Amino acid sequence: MESNNTIWIIIRRMRIPFLVIIITFSISILGLTLIPGMDDQGRPYHMSFFDAFYFVSYMASTIGFGEAPYTFTYPQRMWVSACIYLTVIGWFYGIGSIVALVQDKRLAREIDVARFRSKIRDLHEPFTIILGYNNITHRIIDWLNDEGIRVVVVDRDEEKISALELENFIPEVPALSGDVTHPETLKAAGIHKKNCQAVVALFEDDMKNTKIALLCKLLNKRVKLVIKSTTKTQSEHLKNLGVRYIEDPFRFVSHRIYLALTAPSLWLLEMWIFGHILKIREREELPRGKYIICGYGRMGHALERALKKAGVPYSYIDIRSNEYKETKDSAVFGDAEDYKALIEAGVKEAAAIIAATKDDLINLTILATAKKLNKEIYTIGRENTLDDITIFKSARVNRVYILEQILAEFTYLFIARPLAYRFVRLLHTREEEWGHRVVERMHEVLGENPLHFEITIDEEHAYALSRELKKGASIQLGTLRRSRENWEKHNPILFLLCKWDESRVELIPSDDIDVELGMKLLVAANEESREDFEYIVNNYYELEYVLNGKA
Amino acid sequence: MNTEKVISGFFFILAMTINFGFVYGDPANLAYHSGYELFAAIVINLIATVLKLGDKTQLGSVLLATSLVADIQLIASATVWAVAIYVLKDMSLESTVAIISLAAGAFIANIVSVTLFIGDTLKSKR
Repeated sequence: MESNNTIWIIIRRMRIPFLVIIITFSISILGLTLIPGMDDQGRPYHMSFFDAFYFVSYMASTIGFGEAPYTFTYPQRMWVSACIYLTVIGWFYGIGSIVALVQDKRLAREIDVARFRSKIRDLHEPFTIILGYNNITHRIIDWLNDEGIRVVVVDRDEEKISALELENFIPEVPALSGDVTHPETLKAAGIHKKNCQAVVALFEDDMKNTKIALLCKLLNKRVKLVIKSTTKTQSEHLKNLGVRYIEDPFRFVSHRIYLALTAPSLWLLEMWIFGHILKIREREELPRGKYIICGYGRMGHALERALKKAGVPYSYIDIRSNEYKETKDSAVFGDAEDYKALIEAGVKEAAAIIAATKDDLINLTILATAKKLNKEIYTIGRENTLDDITIFKSARVNRVYILEQILAEFTYLFIARPLAYRFVRLLHTREEEWGHRVVERMHEVLGENPLHFEITIDEEHAYALSRELKKGASIQLGTLRRSRENWEKHNPILFLLCKWDESRVELIPSDDIDVELGMKLLVAANEESREDFEYIVNNYYELEYVLNGKA
Repeated sequence: MNTEKVISGFFFILAMTINFGFVYGDPANLAYHSGYELFAAIVINLIATVLKLGDKTQLGSVLLATSLVADIQLIASATVWAVAIYVLKDMSLESTVAIISLAAGAFIANIVSVTLFIGDTLKSKR
């Protein structure tokens, strides 16, 4: 019943117009039956109710077929002229109310909600709810759609929702404008549905994110939550709530810088998972030496932690973008005072400078000024919005960290590529030496630009293989690497991660591990070997050949 | 005193009483039954129906249902009358009885409606 608010609104609004029409009609009809008329032979007669009803019906709607059944007498005409004004006004009032109702905001909203609900009802594939629509989530939606994961979006701002509707996402993205911290809205978005996999909340406001996390946990225990949190206490709160995945963009950046400084191979593997080629370009190598951090906010602190942990000497200049703009009345860094500050911080002998304020223009000008003072300095910039990527590129900044992009990438990985995400997490527990060996092995087998994919060993994704396993066959992982052309040779394929269940995961599994049903694999391959691999696990004949060498 | 309650109660009860007024009398003789009374019954019933619209409660739904039943029965009764006069051109005994019995059915629906309405009023403390 609750979803049918539309009808109730219409009915409530139409009560008075209905009453007006009923009353004006009945007065007119009654009058016509009471006033004596004259038939074609000049005998007096009274109109019957049917005649009167018929006449009034076409008179009121201004159709006007003429006087029926006989020409009217003057008393009748006098009554009819009064009735015309009475009923026509009543009729127009009724129609006017209907037109007003069509334009009614509340009704339009109810219709939108009803439509949205029915779309959610018809959604039978796994889907993710994204709260808030902006540059970051736009990217996430694109990537998830590519993976075939359906997305539902809720945003408070109606204009953003209409902007989303104009985007023409394929498959369609149902969107609703509503208060995301309201349980009803979340319910409408389908959070209680079985196929709702994850909820993403990446709002600026940490409190809002926590509130959403709490609501989601209460509404659906199984749902995965991707919640942004930029402070430690907040993250702890979330952990206590049982939120498994907390996004702190500053921590991500801090981790990356730490890895890049201390374990380039691990850094490379992580970047490769996110789509980088499997090779460190020369300009990407972080120099050794002193670092200068400009901006000492959340980002600055995160960077400080990374540098401290990596044992790199650093100094910092405390620039707050807001204060800077207010006191200097300019968003451009680089007056005499600023030069002095940079020199005092040791820009002339520093190896690298990181501009980490909240303002893109200040960041750019810091780096430009530093470059002026020290030609050799390595520049690292923080870019805050995705809108003007080109500026940073053309400014020749050595390395740019775009927080929004990092957030989007991690969210996507967590939702769509759980194994790759696990792989990245596990990388952080390993040593550089191990990473180096993995990278070398990958270069050897796959070259510098391999791709990665995930596969579950079940009937849907690996038909032949799972059939064979059900029969009780024992098949080793190494067997699956054999070539379709010559079973004694190997395809260029590497298994990066093998997952039995949440608690049993193996990085770089060895070839003699037995393949089991339900096992999940993260595989590195190239286009061709990926196709071959999929053939082998799905096609009986191919599998048979690879197992026994019999064609 | 609740004005809305007075108005709606007035129309609900009037719908029933007028309906009774039309039905009362020999069902085989149309001379005992005035067409004006049937007309008034239809109009008042329609008004009562509109007054019952928009009440989302359980009781409101049942009240609306009884009113719709009464409307349909009364309009059917009037239709039979019109058809008998203008199409069949003969007011047979069968048509007469049909007109009255249809209206009698509407009367029962109205009784149910008024009973529910009064019951609800008694139930509320204020």
